[in-house]
Amino acid sequence: MNSPETRPSLLLRVRNREDREAWAEFSEIYRPVIQRLARLKGMQDADSEDLAQQVLLTVASAIERFEPDDSRARFRTWIKTIARNAILNALTRGAPDQATGAADMQAFLEQRPDPGSTESAQFQHEYRREVFLWASRQIRPEFSEETWQSFWLTAVEGLDVDAAAEQLERTRGSVYASRSRVMRRLKQKVEEFTDGDDDL
Amino acid sequence: MNISTCNPEIIEQFLAEQLDEQQRATFERHLDECDDCCRLLHERTAEATLWNDARSFLSSAELTADALPKPSPRETSPTSLDFLAPTDDPRMLGRFAGYEICGVIGSGGMGIVLKGFDLALNRYAAIKVLAPHYASSGAARQRFAREAQAAAAVVHDNVIAIHGVSECNGLPYLVMPYVKGVSLQKRIDRNGPLTTSEMLRIAMQTARGLAAAHDQGLVHRDIKPANILLPENVERVMITDFGLARAADDASLTRSGVIAGTPQYMSPEQARGEGIDHRSDLFSLGSVMYAMATGHPPFRAETPYGVLRRITDSDHRPVQEIRSDTPTWMCEIIDRLLNKNAAERFSSAKEVATLLEDCLAHVQQPATVPLPFVLNRNGRRNGGRRAVAGIIIGVAGVFLAWAALFQESPPADMSGPAASQKKIGSLSNETATPAELVTPTDLEWSASDELNTIESTLRELKQELGPVP
Repeated sequence: MNSPETRPSLLLRVRNREDREAWAEFSEIYRPVIQRLARLKGMQDADSEDLAQQVLLTVASAIERFEPDDSRARFRTWIKTIARNAILNALTRGAPDQATGAADMQAFLEQRPDPGSTESAQFQHEYRREVFLWASRQIRPEFSEETWQSFWLTAVEGLDVDAAAEQLERTRGSVYASRSRVMRRLKQKVEEFTDGDDDL
Repeated sequence: MNISTCNPEIIEQFLAEQLDEQQRATFERHLDECDDCCRLLHERTAEATLWNDARSFLSSAELTADALPKPSPRETSPTSLDFLAPTDDPRMLGRFAGYEICGVIGSGGMGIVLKGFDLALNRYAAIKVLAPHYASSGAARQRFAREAQAAAAVVHDNVIAIHGVSECNGLPYLVMPYVKGVSLQKRIDRNGPLTTSEMLRIAMQTARGLAAAHDQGLVHRDIKPANILLPENVERVMITDFGLARAADDASLTRSGVIAGTPQYMSPEQARGEGIDHRSDLFSLGSVMYAMATGHPPFRAETPYGVLRRITDSDHRPVQEIRSDTPTWMCEIIDRLLNKNAAERFSSAKEVATLLEDCLAHVQQPATVPLPFVLNRNGRRNGGRRAVAGIIIGVAGVFLAWAALFQESPPADMSGPAASQKKIGSLSNETATPAELVTPTDLEWSASDELNTIESTLRELKQELGPVP
């Protein structure tokens, strides 16, 4: 297994700035997805971390083969497809050894996993969870503590709006309004990331 | 809006963040009383699956305030004056770098501005001292000195002069003339939105000052109403704090990674942390003009991050929605300055200054000075305007076709010009002149029809250009 230091040098291959950002977002979301799926399959924590690292490395090295073109969303969509295949294949067949030749690696990445499998459904679920978590981290600083709490207490923790209003010392109307503002923004952010996922 | 009436459209506007503060407060009061609207709002915000997903996915996380990096409390606490040396003069606060300090003009994130008396030259001066936490790093100090010296090289009526840059007891400072007056920010806070000609005057002079600095390769980076000084009793505008923003950026970013102050006038490229050039200042100038027209900056949110997000992602609310009496051409100038894409803005501050100058001349003498032509050509960026342009091209096309038809119809007679002239002539009058020949009765109807179209287009165009103030 390669040392983690390999990663930055691999990432330098992503020259385009927007693509680099997409990659950073991507690994922030996918790493926990892989780890959780691996644990669901009964892997130890350390092994699941290894697997995540290995899959991300495989994907990162595949970036070399990416031919940039004019459409902006393409890198994102492309890397998502690659990653999804790599993750599902790694979970069902085991990740390829780093020493494997490039041709095998390519074949591994391009094997179409069975879309009806349990892993595939689990992947969708875990992926969506990570996207939600990521999106909420992204938007959190845009809102004041009060606004955020209005959303969190009622929409996430399931507290009654009246109770939340009392706890936050705000009116019901402002709790309703605040939580809708946060939710609308969350929706935007989630859709921003999952845009084009249907093509996968 | 009546509190007790339900209006589904308001809900959409609320979700699209199109309501101003007052409308939002009214809407919230209505929600207080109306369960139906609460339900509707809930449904319109997001589909049920999304609400469910949010609950099931997020409840596993501890994403409360504790989990997040807390923005450090802004360092606006009154800067202490400990660094002043004692003075013999009982009316003075202390002494600094050879100046008798008689008061504090202001203090901001970057440092403190003192009012000092220069005994040698017998005049007052404003002394800006870099705050100790900025002065702690050698690199920041050097940068401050370098930027201040670059700013000192800009000599222009609309840029405040810098008399000197130096350091005293490890604290870098710069000396500027003491100017009695208020900042544009204070003016807006006190008097609200400005008149069109006031706006033009201030924006034009600001653009001129910027042009002078840009000529020397200096970008201001922090153009905002608080940095535009309006000296008392003079019709003159002065830009302050030239080039200092960068020194502050460096110091504050390396220190905490937290945005200091409000980034309301930043350009999108600044907000994204990308490299910037002079066109970033043009965006900020657009924001300043917006604030002069409406009384508030174009992008507002609860937190600095929220502001940054709106600057990069959302369009500003059209000026005319807030102040309907703003001339359309003025909105076009502002819209173009506020274009997210730097390449779509004006190319230089000089171009903006000239344009605003011509506009000001037009506003002052609407009868004799026309609006600058550039507004007719470059100003049209939205669909409606394009449609008008389309109509003009269309009409021109019809006109040409009509003219061509006319030219071609006589030779089509196959009997030569003389013969055709004779033929048409015989229809009316033997002594008809050629000019009369081109208005035969059978063509008259279609000709006047075309003229009507052209005339109505011209009328539309006039309306499109907006009422002359």
